[in-house]
Amino acid sequence: MSNTQSEDKKAEASQQPQQQKPTVLEEDDEFEDFPVDDWPENETEQASGSTNGNNVHLWEESWDDDDAAEDFSKQLKEELKKVEASH
Amino acid sequence: MISILEELAEGQRQLSGPLVAAALTPVDTSEDPNRLQSFYNFSNAAQISTSLRHYLTQTCRLKIPKQELNAWIDLFSAYWKVVGELLKFGESSTRASWVQVFDNWRDLANVLIRAYTNFGFENWTISCLYVVGKYLRLFASKADAETSAQSSDAFYQEDATTDFGKNAKTEEAARVLNRMFTLCLNDRAPLEASRKWGVYYMTNLLFKTYFQINAVGLSKNLLRALSAQAKELPDLEDFPKSHIVTFKYFVGVIYFLDENYGEAEEHLAYAWKLCHRNATKNKELILTYLVPCHLVNTHTLPSKKLLSHSPRLETLFRSLCDCIRKGDLHGFDTAMTAGEEEFVRRRIYLPLERGRDIALRNLFRKVFIAGGFEESKDGQPPIRRTRIPVAEFAAALRIRTHADSRTRIDIDEVECLLSNLIYKGLMKGYIARERGMIVLSKGGTAFPGTGV
Amino acid sequence: MSSGLPPWRASASATTTASVYPSHATPAYIPVQARRSLTTPSKPTPAVSIQPAPADADSARKRVEFPPAVRSYVQRCFEPEHQIPGVTRQEMETKLKSVITEAAQSDSLYKIDWATLPLPQVMVQNDKTRILANPEASTWGSLYMAATASSAQTYKHDESSKKRKSAEYQTDSSSNGFPPWRQTNKQNAFEDRITYSPTDKRQRIDFKNPTSKSKANLEMRKKRFEDTRGSYGSSPSSRAASPSPTPTGPVVGRCQELEKNYFRLTSAPNPDTVRPLPVLMKTLDLLKKKWKSDNNYTYICDQFKSLRQDLTVQHIRNEFTVIVYEIHARIALEKGDLGEYNQCQTQLRALYAQQLGGHPTEFKAYRILYFIHTRNWTAMNDALADLTPADKQTHAVKHALDVRSALALGNYHRFFQLYLDTPNMGAYLMDMFVDRERLSALAVICKAYKPDVKIRFITEELGFESDEQSARFILDHSAEHFLQEKDGVVKLLTGGKAAQLFELSKNEAHRVVDIKGQI
Repeated sequence: MSNTQSEDKKAEASQQPQQQKPTVLEEDDEFEDFPVDDWPENETEQASGSTNGNNVHLWEESWDDDDAAEDFSKQLKEELKKVEASH
Repeated sequence: MISILEELAEGQRQLSGPLVAAALTPVDTSEDPNRLQSFYNFSNAAQISTSLRHYLTQTCRLKIPKQELNAWIDLFSAYWKVVGELLKFGESSTRASWVQVFDNWRDLANVLIRAYTNFGFENWTISCLYVVGKYLRLFASKADAETSAQSSDAFYQEDATTDFGKNAKTEEAARVLNRMFTLCLNDRAPLEASRKWGVYYMTNLLFKTYFQINAVGLSKNLLRALSAQAKELPDLEDFPKSHIVTFKYFVGVIYFLDENYGEAEEHLAYAWKLCHRNATKNKELILTYLVPCHLVNTHTLPSKKLLSHSPRLETLFRSLCDCIRKGDLHGFDTAMTAGEEEFVRRRIYLPLERGRDIALRNLFRKVFIAGGFEESKDGQPPIRRTRIPVAEFAAALRIRTHADSRTRIDIDEVECLLSNLIYKGLMKGYIARERGMIVLSKGGTAFPGTGV
Repeated sequence: MSSGLPPWRASASATTTASVYPSHATPAYIPVQARRSLTTPSKPTPAVSIQPAPADADSARKRVEFPPAVRSYVQRCFEPEHQIPGVTRQEMETKLKSVITEAAQSDSLYKIDWATLPLPQVMVQNDKTRILANPEASTWGSLYMAATASSAQTYKHDESSKKRKSAEYQTDSSSNGFPPWRQTNKQNAFEDRITYSPTDKRQRIDFKNPTSKSKANLEMRKKRFEDTRGSYGSSPSSRAASPSPTPTGPVVGRCQELEKNYFRLTSAPNPDTVRPLPVLMKTLDLLKKKWKSDNNYTYICDQFKSLRQDLTVQHIRNEFTVIVYEIHARIALEKGDLGEYNQCQTQLRALYAQQLGGHPTEFKAYRILYFIHTRNWTAMNDALADLTPADKQTHAVKHALDVRSALALGNYHRFFQLYLDTPNMGAYLMDMFVDRERLSALAVICKAYKPDVKIRFITEELGFESDEQSARFILDHSAEHFLQEKDGVVKLLTGGKAAQLFELSKNEAHRVVDIKGQI
């Protein structure tokens, strides 16, 4: 434990030089001014999306059934055996 | 020919706000690389208003009511002073100072505000407020950067240190911008002649300013002021799209930072739809916050196509999303660690972290599917096995956290993870602790919304 | 005005700005024209002009045999991991020379504690950033933090938290066997705090944990307090670290009194009422003694504030300053005075950025726990952004981060394991939100388990001291009939109704903090 403390101390010392790294939002994170005030409907993201049929595919489900279910099933059985064996 | 004054005069003839605003834009242009210099050379400090009066009434033959003309002359005299300060940067002299530029520009802003309140500037000139407000903010941040680069004097303070003073000019700019905001918000003129049309532009400028000085909380005061006046304001849809998109983006981010991901998504999605399709950078920023919102709210991931538009988003989200999809907890943790600095900097770490629940759900769903079917009775369609030993979930966790043979997986912790998924509605069923079993609900609702 | 068309639309069409966006075929998204020429003006002048390296004559003139400590000090100056961005090698070398020359001339080569003397690059950096403000435009929450810090003064000595504690302890300790560390907590003797740490006691109850660990923890804590007591007064390091007084700016105090009441400054301070550093060092020793013997928080807090003020007006920012804030913060923490604690925390954050010593990771860990308690996610984001990779390796910070992520994911199992193993004084902070998290966990458990769970399970999972304590807690927040004895064991009947009750209590508990958190 006293080890941990000296490690802590070491860590504190070695971090010193980087401690002042800026955590500011960089300029490049700022929302830009649009070069024009307004634009027609057909230049919006929405319009361009629907013309390409893009819009429908913005999001997809998070699970993945293509992933060979068989493989996982096998893996799972092996793991269970291992656990039982160790008991 | 003084292009700045020609723009002013032409703007007056056409009653075009954008043209007058162009005159007030303190930069050289490719058409006139000496634009500022020639305006500055046009007169001197003692005679600037006389020269302006002469130029506008005699050379340009403008006919403007006297009081209003005086206001324009005051405005452009103030402008002339700033231009002088700006030009110092081009000279080899060391007298150039952003603090000076800012102070003079702030004076200009005050002259402009007075012109609206006292001298009847009409709402067609509102673009002047935009351009003056925009540069006010810009010069303020340059002035603050300049000040903090030079070592500043310490005042006696209550305590060893405060942040006070570090953003002094930007804070001052915020106060002036706030007056401009109020000037727009509280204009009583009929809508077609109202400065209310400038209210979102000014709001957006203030948002940017508050975000810059870490005073996001103050943004909420603006939202309150706007909603108090909501009935008097034109519909948001009737404003220029640049105003709407910027406004919606910031409102979305404000909710986002409050962890109100539901509201946040609505606003961000609106901003996304209306955004100009070529505004790549802004689209990226909108998605940076929209994607985590959508993940938290709907448990769905951005499509490959969506990410493929932007290398930045691709690096930001790709591997994380893949791991969530596969239920790969080890990979998820690795991706979170790898991206941590960037996620934290962009303030998206906290919602992304919640993706682990989805990864976990996907993994446990695999356990369910691997469990196969009960023996079907009397030719009934087969039913999935819904009683699953906790040990099977524990085994799945071992696989996907890359636990080695010596690591013990604590069954209590596995139950804790399961109970959380049940509590959050990601799994349906219950834990029968005495029997070490999970009893999942039948009829394709064990993992709601995932088809099983 | 044409029919219902917004005026901006009408006027815009009259102008030439028409199509900056190409209407089709996408090539360039043209950036705002206005910015173009603004970038040309010169950058702000660099803060410090680089000085020509002085001739070596100075140090060569006198042949001095340097003691090993000096040589190792010099060596450390040049090690790459000690280089500070923004401090050039030349600046560092110049400073180094002047430090050594000065020491040699004043015959203090053997008196100075070279091992703790700040490196010249640190001194240079301190000189540069004389104001302690954080570097650059800092993070999103800092303004909020400043606001909290100032308004927290109205919170003075914190009646509310005192009430909360004493009330809680009275009712609880009378009703069931209350763990000794909590009872001693009530008395709050300095020694007691050292002897019975929360960690210590609870680990003794928890058989799974090796007791040696808790003992070691205890050692650590003892050491810490010894450290803080031992390291000033006679140590030359703190004196050497103090910035040489600038002739114009700061006040130089003349007051020799050790004690002084706190008054808010409304004008420039009078040197006659300001204590110079050597006096302040004695003051700190006195305050530590008094705290130990009298344990009068109102007095101690007031004295610390005036101590801090004297440091501030004299621009004294060195390790001593850090220690003063740290001790005040720890005392405030122990007394549950969050307002005062938060002020110290805010100052410490800036002081640590100056690398003046102290225990940055201990307090960075507190800061994370504090924002968990106040549920200030914006500030939490900032706190996370402040951490360096090295910070995250330390026990205290790692613990706090684990606590945060366990809560974020609802992993109460992990959370309560961590609760029972909290380093330093973090348990004082965790105690403030542990009940709230117990309610959250009970809401989850009641919804997920059927038909019941043994009370033993709740006790173990939710870090209670005993089955009696967890039963009491359940009864306080639900109804009697949810606890039933079956087959000789007490069980919590889970299910929708119980879940609902705990959900309500949980929301209530979180709401209370929402208000508090907005101090």
